[in-house]
Amino acid sequence: MSTHDQAHAEHAFNADSHEGEHQHDIRLFIGIFIALCVLTTMSFLTYFPFWRTHVPVEVSRAFMMAVSCTKAMLVIMFFMHLKWEANWKWVLTVPASIMSALLILALIPDVGLRMRHASHQRMIHAAELPPKEAGEHNQDHKPATPPANEPAVKKSAA
Amino acid sequence: MSDDHHAHAPQFDYQPALPIPNGKAFMWLFLSTEIMFFAGLIGTYIVLRFGAISWPSTHDVHLAEIWGATNTFVLICSSVTVVLALEAAKKNNASAAKGWMVLTFLLGLVFLGIKMYEYNAKFSHGIYPQLPHSQIYEKPDVYYAQAVRTRLNTLKAELENKTDKTEEDTASLGLVDDLLREVDAAEVALRNEPDSPAGRIKIFELADKIYPRASIHDHTSSASHAATGDSPFHLVAAEHETTVGGGHLEGLNDKYNWLKLPIMIPGGNMWASTYFLLTGFHALHVIVGLIAFGLLLTMTLNRAAFGTIENVGLYWHFVDLVWIFLFPLLYLF
Repeated sequence: MSTHDQAHAEHAFNADSHEGEHQHDIRLFIGIFIALCVLTTMSFLTYFPFWRTHVPVEVSRAFMMAVSCTKAMLVIMFFMHLKWEANWKWVLTVPASIMSALLILALIPDVGLRMRHASHQRMIHAAELPPKEAGEHNQDHKPATPPANEPAVKKSAA
Repeated sequence: MSDDHHAHAPQFDYQPALPIPNGKAFMWLFLSTEIMFFAGLIGTYIVLRFGAISWPSTHDVHLAEIWGATNTFVLICSSVTVVLALEAAKKNNASAAKGWMVLTFLLGLVFLGIKMYEYNAKFSHGIYPQLPHSQIYEKPDVYYAQAVRTRLNTLKAELENKTDKTEEDTASLGLVDDLLREVDAAEVALRNEPDSPAGRIKIFELADKIYPRASIHDHTSSASHAATGDSPFHLVAAEHETTVGGGHLEGLNDKYNWLKLPIMIPGGNMWASTYFLLTGFHALHVIVGLIAFGLLLTMTLNRAAFGTIENVGLYWHFVDLVWIFLFPLLYLF
C-alpha cells in the first residue's frame, strides 16, 4: 500500500463522501506513530529516580500534561483526520471542548482553594500527618509534635 | 437532492446540516458527549486525588508503571493499525484492510489482557473498590487491630478444628498465635498508656509487617514522597532494614498467602474507588470497541465499508485518547 501524495491537497466537500476522501501518505502516519512513541517515552522518563530527584514534582506533572495534550492533538488531527476536515469540525469540537473546560474550571476551587490547614479533628483522625500541615506544625509549636521522640518511646517500650 | 416536483415552488438546494454522512455526524456527536463524560470523571479524580489528606504511591498499591506504559504503546499501535485498515479500504484492498483489522483486534485483546493482569495483582492483595472484598484500612487504629484479630481468630479456629494436623498446620498455628500476641501487646499498650503513641506505633508496625508499603521503606524516595519523611511513622519504619530500593515489598500476606489479613493503606479506599472507576469505564469502552471490530471482521472491508471503518476508527482513537490522559494521571502522578 504505497503512496499517492495529494495527501495535503485540500478538497472541497464532495457530496459523495467516499470520493471526496484524501489519499494519505502512509509515511505520515508512521511519523505520527513514532512521535507518539517518543512522547510516551518522555512521560515515562519521569518515573525514573534520576528524573524524580532532579525535577520538582509540579514541573514534571505539568510536563506530563503537556506531553499528553500534544499526543492528544496528534491523534485528533491526524488519526481522526480532523486536520483535513471541512469547517463542520468546529461545530462539534468547540462546544464539547468548552463544556469540558468549564467542567474542569468549575472543579478548580475544590482543588486550588482547598484548606491548607487541617482542623484539629482532621489531624486526630488522619492516618498520617498531611505533609504540608506537618511541616507548618513543626515550625509553629514544636513540643506539641510527637514525631521526634516517638522512636525513642517505642524502643523503651519494646 | 433538490426537489422540483412542483414547478411553481421556489428552487432550493438541499443543504445537509453537516456536510458529512449521518453516521459520521452521529459518531462525532457521540464522541463529544464522551469527551464530557470522561472530562467529568478525570476532573473528579483530580479533585479527590489532590484534596486527599494522603494518597498511596503507585508501588503501595501494586501498580506497575511499566504495564501502564506498555498499554499506552499497545493502544498507539492499534490506533495506527486502524488508520492503515482505513487507508487499505480506501484503496479497495479488502484483504489488507482485513489484515490490519485483525491486528487491531488482537492489540485490543492484548490491552485487556494486561489490564486483567493488573487488576488481578490488586485483587490478590485484597485491594478492591468496595466491601466485602476490600481489605483496606486507612489507619493503624483499634478498628484495624480488631479486624486483624477477627481474621486471626477465624484462622485459628479453622486450624484447631482440623482433625489430621500436618506439620505445616502446626507451624501455621504458631504463626497465628504469634500474631495474636502482637495484637494483644499493641492493644494492652493502647489501653495502659492511652496518651503515649507506643500502642499506635505497635499497630503500625504490625500493619507494616502484614503489608509493607514501598513509600514508607523507600529511602531514595522521590520528590513527591519526600514530604512524607516528616511523618512520625517514617522514622519507625526506617528502622527496619530492607534491601528494597522501590518496587513492591513482600509482607506476611505475600509470604503466607492463606493469611489474607486486613491491610493498612492510608488513602487506599479512595484510590481504589477512583482507579477502578476510571480504568473500568475505559476498559468497558475497549470491550465495546472490540465488539465493533469483531462485527467489522465479518464484513468485506472494501471501499463500500469505508464509512463504517471510519466511524469505528474514530471511536477507537477516542479510546486511545482517554488512555493518553489516564496513563500519566494514574501511574505517574
